[in-house]
Amino acid sequence: MSMLLSTIVAAPAIAAAILLALPASQRLAIRVVSLVGAIISLAGSVQVARLYDRGVGGLQLGEDYTLVPSLGIHLNLAVDGWGVALLLLTGIIIVTGVLASWTVARRDKDFFVLLLVLVAGVFGVFVSQDLFVFFLFYEIAVLPMYLLIGIWGSSHKVEGQGPFRFAWRAFQVGGKEYAAMKLTLMLLVGSAAILVAILALWNEAGGTTFDLTALQSHHFSRQTQMWTFPLLWLGFGTLAGVFPFHTWSPDGHASAPTAVSMLHAGVLMKLGAFGVMRIGMVLAPDAAATWAPIVGGVAVINVLYGAMCAANQTDLKYIIAYSSVSHMGVVMLGAATLNPTGWNGAVYQMFAHGIMTGLFFALVGLVYERAHTRAIAKMGGFSHVMPAVGAFFTLACLSSLGLPGTAGFVAEFLVFLGAAKTQHAWWAIPGVLGAFVTAVYVLRAVKTIFWGPKPSGEFAHLTDAQRTEWFAPVMLGAALVVFGFWPRFLLDFIDGTSATFLNRIPQVAEVFFP
Amino acid sequence: MSPLLTLAAVAVFAPAAAALLLVLVPPLRKQGMPAAIVTLLGSVAAVVSAGRILLDRLGAGHAAESIVTPWIIVANKPLAELGLLVDGTSATMLFVVCLVALMVQVFSLSYMSEEPPAAYGRYFALHALFLFSMNVLVVAPNLLQAFAGWELVGLASYLLIGFYFHKPSAAKAAVKAFWMTKLADMGFLFGLLWLFVQADTFRWDVPVSHELANVVALMLFIAVVGKSAQFPLHIWLPDAMEGPTPVSALLHAATMVAAGVFLVVRADPLFALAPFARDVMLWVGAITASFAALLALVQTDIKKVLAYSTASQLGYMVTALGAGNAFAGFFHLGTHAFFKALLFLAAGSVIHAVHSNELADMGGLRKKMPLTATAFTIGALSLAGFPGFAGFFSKDLVLHSVEGKGGWIPWVLLMASAFLTAFYMGRVLIKAFLGAESSKAHHAHESGPAMAAPLVILAVPALGSGFLGAWLASSTGHEYELHFASMTPITATVLGLAGLGASWVVFGSGGTAPFADVIARLDRESWVDRSWELGYRRVMLGAAAVLGWFDRYIVDGVMNLFGWAAIEGGQKARTLQTGLVRDYAWALVAGAAVLALVGGLK
Amino acid sequence: MSSLSQFVLLAGVLFSIGLYGLMTRTHAIAMLLSIELMANAANVLFVVFAKAFGGAGQIFVLFALAITVAEVAVGLALVMLLYRRYDDTLLDLANEARE
Repeated sequence: MSMLLSTIVAAPAIAAAILLALPASQRLAIRVVSLVGAIISLAGSVQVARLYDRGVGGLQLGEDYTLVPSLGIHLNLAVDGWGVALLLLTGIIIVTGVLASWTVARRDKDFFVLLLVLVAGVFGVFVSQDLFVFFLFYEIAVLPMYLLIGIWGSSHKVEGQGPFRFAWRAFQVGGKEYAAMKLTLMLLVGSAAILVAILALWNEAGGTTFDLTALQSHHFSRQTQMWTFPLLWLGFGTLAGVFPFHTWSPDGHASAPTAVSMLHAGVLMKLGAFGVMRIGMVLAPDAAATWAPIVGGVAVINVLYGAMCAANQTDLKYIIAYSSVSHMGVVMLGAATLNPTGWNGAVYQMFAHGIMTGLFFALVGLVYERAHTRAIAKMGGFSHVMPAVGAFFTLACLSSLGLPGTAGFVAEFLVFLGAAKTQHAWWAIPGVLGAFVTAVYVLRAVKTIFWGPKPSGEFAHLTDAQRTEWFAPVMLGAALVVFGFWPRFLLDFIDGTSATFLNRIPQVAEVFFP
Repeated sequence: MSPLLTLAAVAVFAPAAAALLLVLVPPLRKQGMPAAIVTLLGSVAAVVSAGRILLDRLGAGHAAESIVTPWIIVANKPLAELGLLVDGTSATMLFVVCLVALMVQVFSLSYMSEEPPAAYGRYFALHALFLFSMNVLVVAPNLLQAFAGWELVGLASYLLIGFYFHKPSAAKAAVKAFWMTKLADMGFLFGLLWLFVQADTFRWDVPVSHELANVVALMLFIAVVGKSAQFPLHIWLPDAMEGPTPVSALLHAATMVAAGVFLVVRADPLFALAPFARDVMLWVGAITASFAALLALVQTDIKKVLAYSTASQLGYMVTALGAGNAFAGFFHLGTHAFFKALLFLAAGSVIHAVHSNELADMGGLRKKMPLTATAFTIGALSLAGFPGFAGFFSKDLVLHSVEGKGGWIPWVLLMASAFLTAFYMGRVLIKAFLGAESSKAHHAHESGPAMAAPLVILAVPALGSGFLGAWLASSTGHEYELHFASMTPITATVLGLAGLGASWVVFGSGGTAPFADVIARLDRESWVDRSWELGYRRVMLGAAAVLGWFDRYIVDGVMNLFGWAAIEGGQKARTLQTGLVRDYAWALVAGAAVLALVGGLK
Repeated sequence: MSSLSQFVLLAGVLFSIGLYGLMTRTHAIAMLLSIELMANAANVLFVVFAKAFGGAGQIFVLFALAITVAEVAVGLALVMLLYRRYDDTLLDLANEARE
């Protein structure tokens, strides 16, 4: 039995344990240990991609350890094609994330411990084949975020407006504590919904096993499916930023420190979408087919509404955060198509958006560390002083608006094509419009921040990326282009798994009220 | 892979290799001149290969050769493919593009020499990227690859227009060009999606129903309107003149803007099934041709005259396509690429000499810059359709193809444009090269060989490429006849000569264009541009503001409301816990009483 | 009226007096006394019911007395602390935890 998958999951956790034993003054050692842990996971993920037999498909590299026999809980690890793609994504993001956090000054030991614990949870979710363990890892991935934002985040002030402004008095809106609390509470409400659904499914399947493969082979009654699917959709969907439960995202991402934003938007939001597809749609296929028009309709709102909201932001991090809401809408739209084109696109978009938004937040972090402002109106002409940052930012923007030659194009094109193939072909229209609106707001941001006359005054002596700061942009930027020109590498993994799962979903859906 | 396809691959990947090298090795790029050499090497390799392919293809009705490789996989089948397609059309286009690109790059060696090394290197790296993208589009074996190349040339255009990114006007123009073309490209994407959903392919020559063909062709045409600067999306092209002049020559006159025309030529089998789409093209092209020619008349900036002239000439090509004669459009594309590149480079030479774009700062340059003046005159006469020059033949073919279409109105519009073209080119010739020397023109002098050589080389096809019509037609599988003795060429020639004569009469004595005020009012500033601006600011940003507010204060407000309710509810409930033993005793008694009462009632 | 019901009545009266005291008095010592009255009412019942129906109820009274002694000791100590802090034995004064 290969121990590869458990190594990937354990490496960050063990690194975190070693950090706990290190004195906080050993600052270099702390970083090196974190980096080594992250690199082991990335190398393991690459090795998984090499070992995984694309011709055979299905679950591979399995490991099984019994945890609670009486309840049928196993630590059952195995990886399918989607898992390979997402493991690679997580590996890339955590390595670059650790490098991007090299300059964290305050309580850095605690920071890296939490970061590594979080990422161990993420890796765990992608390889768990036991629903209970899946949920456990899911919670491990979500909870450290509260401390990471609450302690290392940044605050700003938001004035209340509108009919609910009285509610602003109750808490410091815009504060990092507020953002951390909002994010955690909203995600936990989602988790509660997921738990109810999981227990209901477990119970109906006989209450003897949490094994995903076993649960998949059990045909749940339509009645159970019909109420568990929305719980799973909205529960996981909260993490994926599904409208209207996306509002934790702008505040959370804006307040979070660089690496946390990278991980959160880059990987954690994918956990949500992955959960909807892997758990919700696969375990409740009949309900998924019935609910698909609603899932897709909401996803379409996400795409266009998120983009329009992003177009209205003046804070750089809010722009990127809303763009995540919009792009996760593309993932959910792909999921709702329930056809191989759309599903490949959805998973590819998870990867593409993860890399892209990781790049975005890494660069925004660089800019913020230097300029100490995120208000784009105050910036201008930064390409004169930081040309490389400007170039990479432009690259991320191009992927964001779906330019051919970047990973974003392959993903969005597949999703829109998948959407056009469904009975709801109109979904493609707001989708493509969303991509256009994206072009408007990202290029406007590039123009405002990086173009224009040479900056004077406080911004005249900003510097370009230096030393360790280079890694994140270069790695992520290269990945965007490589996977834009060469999508087959990932699609070969994704495609087989999509087909396997789609077999379970009825092509002709029963409607809500027959 | 056959030798021919290998050559095509060289033409595509040599510039790509140059671009990649310059991106991956920043020191090389930042030193300036080495970057230029790398790019030039790539372009030379591309030109030689393209020339070799053209020689092989021309004159004979060879079958197309192609090779494809799976690109995007869905359900174990290749959904999209990338590859190379070599036939007469792509061979011709490839050669035209590579040759003009090489000439422009050579010209730029000297033109851009005052830039700092890093910017110089960046400029040439972008040129390599552009040539790669354009060639991807030209050799595309299917619509999807064409789309990829289409978008990538848009990117190169955006980055090159914004080359002087420190100038706010250039930054604005670059973004505007990208937005306008991207807006139109949505049509391309919808067309692609719909074609694939209905016909399950991206191939050029897919047999489809008339209904589907009309829809897809119209969608594609929207993209053409954007890329080829047709009315009402033409407004980005004059602004794009903010880029360096050689860029304007290459992208915004000779090659990239003609990509729209090339796309329609390529997708001719589809458009042939779409009569309605063709009618739309006929009218849009004719309106653009005449409207842009009118606006060219009142521009004071030499590059803007040429920009409007480009829009106008693209209108000619689109009209020909709409009339159903793809070859006429393609032929005009080819000759136009040469003479318009020549005009722009000559204009660039002038601008380089007098350090100004304004016609008023020029004048009398004929004596100071005889070579440039000659080159510009050749280009202008070709553009004006002077008999024997390249533009004469292709324009004749275009006008012929439009005869009788749309109740002769497009024909009349194009004829009027022919007159206007000669008129405004005469104006430029007179203002820039004849007449009295202005103060700025006093110190002007001819530039070095790097700028002179491209002018000489491009002057040859600008003069003579018109005679290649028959050769080109046979290699692309079309019919070609000359009809000099018929009404159309005679009328066009007379009108062209009349235009030149009229400009001599009007401008030779230092006058201004008749109805200049009226035309100025028609200018983009007054309504087309402003309508788009209004659409962007009021409609789009307005909607964004409303939705952004709604999200922050209503959607998120409701979320905060939950938080507020929890906190407020907690505050209220907390006051029940007074901490006074006495109150708890009272509660105890009350509770006991209630229980006793409930028990008693039972 | 049997003697049993008289004793039960006595216990009820004692308890009520204690409860009334607890509900109305504000001095800590008075409240402590009231609680003692209520506890003793229970003790009376223990003895009475043990006498009437048999069983070992009296033993609990001994336990209860022992615990009450400890309780009074703690209670009086708290009253001492209260007095030192507020110069009074009004229990209502100790309300910092409310706000």
